Amino acid sequence: MPDAKPRTAGAPASPRRNRRSGRGEARAGFLFALPWMLGLAIFTFIPLILTFYIAQTKFQIVGPPKWIGLQNYEAMWTDGAVWTSARNTITFAVISVPIKLALALGLALLLHRATALSGFYRTVLYLPFLMPAVAGSIVFMLLLTPGAGPINIILDTLGFSPPDWLRDPNAALWTLIILSLWPLGVETIVFLGGLQNIPKDISEAADIDSPRGWHKLWWITLPLITPMILFNLVIGIIYSFQIFTQAIVIGGTTGQPAESTLMYMILIYRAAFRYFNMGYAAALATVLFLAVLLLTLLIFRTARSWVYYEGDSR
Amino acid sequence: MTTYSRPGRVNRRNFLRGTAAAGALAALPRAARAQTEGQLLLWLPGGSDLFCQIHTGLLDGFSAGAGLGPAQTICGLGQDTEFTQALIGAITGGNPPDISMLWDSPVALGSQGAFMALDDMMANSTIPISTWPAGLLSSCQFKGQTFGLPVTAGVYSMWYNEELFEAKGISTARADFPKTWVDMRALSKEFTVWDGDKLMTAGFMPPRSPETMAIWSALNGGMLYDEANLRYTIDSEQNIEMMNFFIDWLNEEYKGDVNLVDRSSNFSDGYPNGDTGMGSAFREGRLAGMQSGSWLMGDIYGDPVPVFERWNLAGHPTGPSGTASVSGVWPNWFVIPVGSKNPQAAFDYLAYLSTEGVVEWYQQIPDYPTNSQVVAKSPQSLVDRRGAEFADDVTAFLGEQAKIVTAMWNSPVQSFGNDQIRLAMEKIYTKASLVADALAEAQMSAQAELERALAG
Repeated sequence: MPDAKPRTAGAPASPRRNRRSGRGEARAGFLFALPWMLGLAIFTFIPLILTFYIAQTKFQIVGPPKWIGLQNYEAMWTDGAVWTSARNTITFAVISVPIKLALALGLALLLHRATALSGFYRTVLYLPFLMPAVAGSIVFMLLLTPGAGPINIILDTLGFSPPDWLRDPNAALWTLIILSLWPLGVETIVFLGGLQNIPKDISEAADIDSPRGWHKLWWITLPLITPMILFNLVIGIIYSFQIFTQAIVIGGTTGQPAESTLMYMILIYRAAFRYFNMGYAAALATVLFLAVLLLTLLIFRTARSWVYYEGDSR
Repeated sequence: MTTYSRPGRVNRRNFLRGTAAAGALAALPRAARAQTEGQLLLWLPGGSDLFCQIHTGLLDGFSAGAGLGPAQTICGLGQDTEFTQALIGAITGGNPPDISMLWDSPVALGSQGAFMALDDMMANSTIPISTWPAGLLSSCQFKGQTFGLPVTAGVYSMWYNEELFEAKGISTARADFPKTWVDMRALSKEFTVWDGDKLMTAGFMPPRSPETMAIWSALNGGMLYDEANLRYTIDSEQNIEMMNFFIDWLNEEYKGDVNLVDRSSNFSDGYPNGDTGMGSAFREGRLAGMQSGSWLMGDIYGDPVPVFERWNLAGHPTGPSGTASVSGVWPNWFVIPVGSKNPQAAFDYLAYLSTEGVVEWYQQIPDYPTNSQVVAKSPQSLVDRRGAEFADDVTAFLGEQAKIVTAMWNSPVQSFGNDQIRLAMEKIYTKASLVADALAEAQMSAQAELERALAG
């Protein structure tokens, strides 16, 4: 009789009981996670698989999809708008992401200096992130309006000749980049978290070893916050490849002026919801998905050589 | 005020409106969105409160007279793409409205099977095909089928400020208005004054609206889309000549820089520019003339009030390779979506609207009735402001213009084609591309999309 043997208080439960308990916990955990897993399956995986399928059809919403194989991908190859939007998007990402990271890091370093008002500054810096992107874009458009916009008036007064920020094809993409730099709150907070986690003893030792601030920044601070740099880099690249709201507010679906603000996401939206060419839009989306996936994997691959995790043996 | 802005693309305003309208549509009780047998449901894309009231009243009156149940009109569902999204969603969901107004050509969606072909019903009705101007009806036809009716239309013509003309000692008679682009350009110079880089006053502007390019092309003996051969002709010799003429004009009279012009005021149409906040130069008395649709007649004396009282309309001048004046339209199309539960009653309403309802409609909002059987009565607001003689004269003139409408809005990839033309014009006017290159690029893209749409 297995239960006849008395058990002393605090003694470990039998392996069988442990297994039962473990199974029960696993079941409970699974049930708790089930709603999220169902949501992931229904709203992410199934649409993802459907996208791969629709990308190989001619589907204009009215009527059933018709299988056309790889024709949508072939059409992309000869579609000038695809190349234009890809060039614009890559330019946007290459320029905006590093600048954004540098600015956010600079702000985080400033905030890290404990002052009585640091909480206030943190809140102020985060506020732009809370403003809807459409509203923020419209405010920027008003600020940059040729002639009557305050920024142009100030530049005029100072003797500069301001560009036509939103209408000059050579300036509009830069305007979009400037606009994207405005909400830096999330990146700054992430960097700030990293800075605050740097052990004090290391920081103090660095202060003793070298009085030069940039030495400490380069050799101590930056290596210790590389996980945060990696996080912000990956999120920044994904965001920049998916930029949509600001671009459509500034340039509409045609990327005005002269396609200079035509971003890849706008192209997808335009194909799907202006031309109702769902098959082509799905093909565009599939390519974007693969491009972002590959880029992210590449960054993670290179991260092994430049990201330092505390406790890591390297 | 009857504010009645026309959609052209998804701009900021349309994007916001569409988002709000989609939300409002989703929030409507299902019963309000659903069509019911014996009760007509009408969707309208946009327009003012007055526009909605007129249509609600017309449908209610018709339904009561025809012994149908209480009708429902849903107004302001968003313009352009957003409205089309909602309509396609309803059609594919099997619960469309019985009737829908469109502000974009029904050809694209009709050719895909979204709208009922009306030809059989038209044949035995009071509005057979023969009662519609061919150029207008072609905006609803594809491969011999008619997918909608252009019940009314904003008719394009040349508007001019009579008071500015008189101040320069220029005849204000319609018959004396320039008959050629060369003459118009010469007249334009009389008014154009620069103060440094600010354009103070101007005569006429080289056209920049992609929606009206079909008219300018036809005025130069060309076309943008050859319906008979299912082929775009954007880079034809006539169109290259046309754009070269406009660029030469811009260079000569407007310092070759559209951005300088746009920084000075909105010299493009009769409304303030919502995106830039610039007022309308025409209303400010700084632009002597322009091309505009007849809908402006209902708004011209509204906010912002123009600094002048008297304006008039004239026909379009012809280009160097053109032989005759033509006009153009932006119709209010009506369609019966596939899946309507009351198709015959819906068609009967369209027949009533096309022949009787439009009289009241035009009297209150100047969208010109297009069916040839209709005798239009002048818009009341115009009669009140300028007298019956002027209002009747303008109405008769618009009727004549409606008879010489060139074929437009007739491509199965209309939105795509318009976007390519818009892009080409932007590149040309901002000097980002040469005329021939930009038009060739637009031609290649539009033709490829057309062939893709027609395949299979």
